[in-house]
Amino acid sequence: MRNLASLSAIALIASAAAAQSETLTVSWWGYNGDKLDANIIQPFKEMCGCDVVFETGNNADRLGKLQARGGKGVDVIFLTDAYSQIGVEQGVFQKVDPAKIPNLENIYPVARDPQGGFGPAYTVGRIGIVYDSATVEPITSWSDLFRDDLGGMVSLPGITTTAGPMVVVQAGMVAGTDAYEDDAPAFELIEALKPQVVKNYNNGSEMVNLISTGEAQITMTQDFTLGSLKNAVPTMTWADLEDGDIAVLNTLNIPTGSENVDLAHEFINFVLSDEVQQKEAEQGVDAPINMNVELAPEQAAMWTYGQEAIDALNTMDYAKMNAHKSDWIDMWNEIFGM
Amino acid sequence: MSSLSSPRLRAWALSAPALLLVVLFLLVPVFSTLATTFGDPEGPLATYATFFNSRLRMRVLWRTMEVAVITTVISVFIGFLTAWVVSRAPGRLKSLLIIAAVFPLLTGVVVRSFAWLIILGKNGILNDTLLWIGVISEPVSMLYTEGSVIVAMVYLFVPLMILTLVGVLEGIPQDMTDAAASLGARPAAAFRQVVLPMAVPGLIVGSVLVFTGSFTSYATPQLLGGERQMMMGTFLYQNAMVRFDWVAASTVAAIMVVVTLTTVILMSRLARKLNPVAG
Amino acid sequence: MKQRTHPALIAVALLTFVFLVGPLVIIIGTSLSDTSYLTFPPQGYTLHWYENIFDISAFRRTMVTSFTLAVGGTALSMLIGIPAAYALARYRVELPKFLGNVFVLPILIPEIVMGFSLMKSVAIGAGLPIMTSLLVGHALLVLPYCVRVTGASLNAFDFSIEDAAVSLGCPRWKAFFTVVLPNVKAGIIAGFILAFITSLNDVSVSIFLTGPGVSTLPIQLLAHMEQFFDPTIASVSVLLMFVTTAVMAIVERTLGLTFLTK
Repeated sequence: MRNLASLSAIALIASAAAAQSETLTVSWWGYNGDKLDANIIQPFKEMCGCDVVFETGNNADRLGKLQARGGKGVDVIFLTDAYSQIGVEQGVFQKVDPAKIPNLENIYPVARDPQGGFGPAYTVGRIGIVYDSATVEPITSWSDLFRDDLGGMVSLPGITTTAGPMVVVQAGMVAGTDAYEDDAPAFELIEALKPQVVKNYNNGSEMVNLISTGEAQITMTQDFTLGSLKNAVPTMTWADLEDGDIAVLNTLNIPTGSENVDLAHEFINFVLSDEVQQKEAEQGVDAPINMNVELAPEQAAMWTYGQEAIDALNTMDYAKMNAHKSDWIDMWNEIFGM
Repeated sequence: MSSLSSPRLRAWALSAPALLLVVLFLLVPVFSTLATTFGDPEGPLATYATFFNSRLRMRVLWRTMEVAVITTVISVFIGFLTAWVVSRAPGRLKSLLIIAAVFPLLTGVVVRSFAWLIILGKNGILNDTLLWIGVISEPVSMLYTEGSVIVAMVYLFVPLMILTLVGVLEGIPQDMTDAAASLGARPAAAFRQVVLPMAVPGLIVGSVLVFTGSFTSYATPQLLGGERQMMMGTFLYQNAMVRFDWVAASTVAAIMVVVTLTTVILMSRLARKLNPVAG
Repeated sequence: MKQRTHPALIAVALLTFVFLVGPLVIIIGTSLSDTSYLTFPPQGYTLHWYENIFDISAFRRTMVTSFTLAVGGTALSMLIGIPAAYALARYRVELPKFLGNVFVLPILIPEIVMGFSLMKSVAIGAGLPIMTSLLVGHALLVLPYCVRVTGASLNAFDFSIEDAAVSLGCPRWKAFFTVVLPNVKAGIIAGFILAFITSLNDVSVSIFLTGPGVSTLPIQLLAHMEQFFDPTIASVSVLLMFVTTAVMAIVERTLGLTFLTK
């Protein structure tokens, strides 16, 4: 009898524990997993007493799957802003409740609400021009990318990469028009650039390979590739552009089908916290977006760090860009694919 | 099994599980995906009209056909000769050769394509060697051409051909060719009358595998050809994973399936002509 | 008296093997290079990129998943594929001609569409668990090799030998295992190898069927390559080469299939 009583007590405790331990499903890229696990996941697990599982893959694959599942199956999704904008337009994210993310107050204003009531950004990167200072005259503005002394040295990001459509936008700017209103001048410039292009790249590995094998000396890329490029060709230089680099924000969103909305908010809040942001920046994982993060100069050198640097970046209107993307892919293919 | 007395019943019972797998998990899902291509408000064939009226898309289709056919022909030629030598090698050497043929397949498509980037690049091994010999005076651009795509594709698929054919050619007894030779048949005639008819089924299977594989490949043309040598696989991927337009992607897929299926059926017909026994 | 193979043929075969093995030497070289990018010849030697695979927990986990899938998917596919191949070869009269082509469909249909359709119907529609969907997807993906490559050898088999065994009182199943199977070993081995490798390196189908908590090695590798451009891609490939070779050896031993006895 006593055995039975203790058994049922154990059963009760076990079922209560099972009811309490929730599982948060996080969708992210899957690189740097071990550092993120130590900095974010383990401390968060201890804090919430829950379990965390992951879905990994690149932006497009994960967003495509989320869409196919009708917004179900994931509680928090990490995406670059170009893709989270597509998610917003597809209606697979829910709006976040700022009251549940008190740390929003500590991050730069630009990152708090980049996409109209949806998730905040937790880090900022930049897209700019990189060139080999040993063989190329200094590049100081976006118009230099379209100079005519770069024969066979250029590799542009393919139109299907995150940076691809930005080439069109910047070409429009150089041509003195708004590419969203009239894209013909932008594409005329790109067509004129074609003879100077050796090959356009589709992913970072390919781009680094083009530079390291000497096929190309100039490219447009995101800042996290600079280290690899310098290792391959020490004279690769991040161009100091007078008209500024382009901001890339990595965002955190809660899909419509999330079953742990409160926990998801807690997680987002935790990723924006002072201690996580400080650790991530010190270990070279992600640039800090939290204003309380203090970095030594050598740590800060690799990031877009501080109000001034962030303010100098150009932001893209992804809603407009996505509306034109399909046409631009065709026009781009007409130029480079024939 | 023995309770199944009629051969017909036995034949169907044996193929049923595999057939069920294909029907349930491939035909039904894929047809429901392809069915979406006929749902255009502008008419059931609107998406196809868009495809066939585009100069760029037709060019991509022709290029893909061309690359796949050339890759298949080269693979048949190299694969057959190599498989013949392998199948006639003594035991221990034969296993070594088979393993050597299999090894390239053990690495992913992406890394194999990267190897060719390193070989064919401006500062690559081939250019360096040619410069050193003095055949050329300055590095030649070999990458991002149809040729570089074909070389890498042949590399991808020749092992498939060799493996498929070795099994078949081993089944041709040595004494048959010897007998043909002893009856005064010249090697060429012995080959045409004895070896080829028996090898046809294997050649067909190998060609089908290589043709469909190269027709639908994606990573290799992307890396070694880029936008200039765009192929259907890349185009399909763009529609699906960049534009998130599954209807357009399914249209491309449907066209690809029709082209490859037609090719495979033609090949099987040809096979039956050459060798009535092969199915 | 045996005919000798023509020297010109041997030369062609030799060149083919140089062509086949050359790039592998390059991959092995780049995987040992002391540089943080892919280059050949190596600029110095290090085993760091191999340590990297074992240091990163995601690689360890996904490697196990990938091998489980490749073994499970291929075994499942062979289990239902060999009977079908046998039926196609043995009962040519009783079965319709087009049936052989039905089993090629998994390679005819572009992988990415197959993956997408499977996700829609099997993973989302039927709500099958992730690992089950992956197993089904991979079994389907490799079925053409299991049926057609095995079938190519079965087509060349003279079934009157089997009939003779049966008429002498040997049960049908036993005749199949003792008379037919040993004679089509080469085809089965070739089919198994092709299937196993296809499954192990698959990206397109797996991308759609993986989900929370389950990923495969090629997908993890792609994720790594999004951010790091080091020779890990080469070291993973080389490691897979050797591990796969070991698996093949084990399969040979356990199934009693061997290249060395004819």
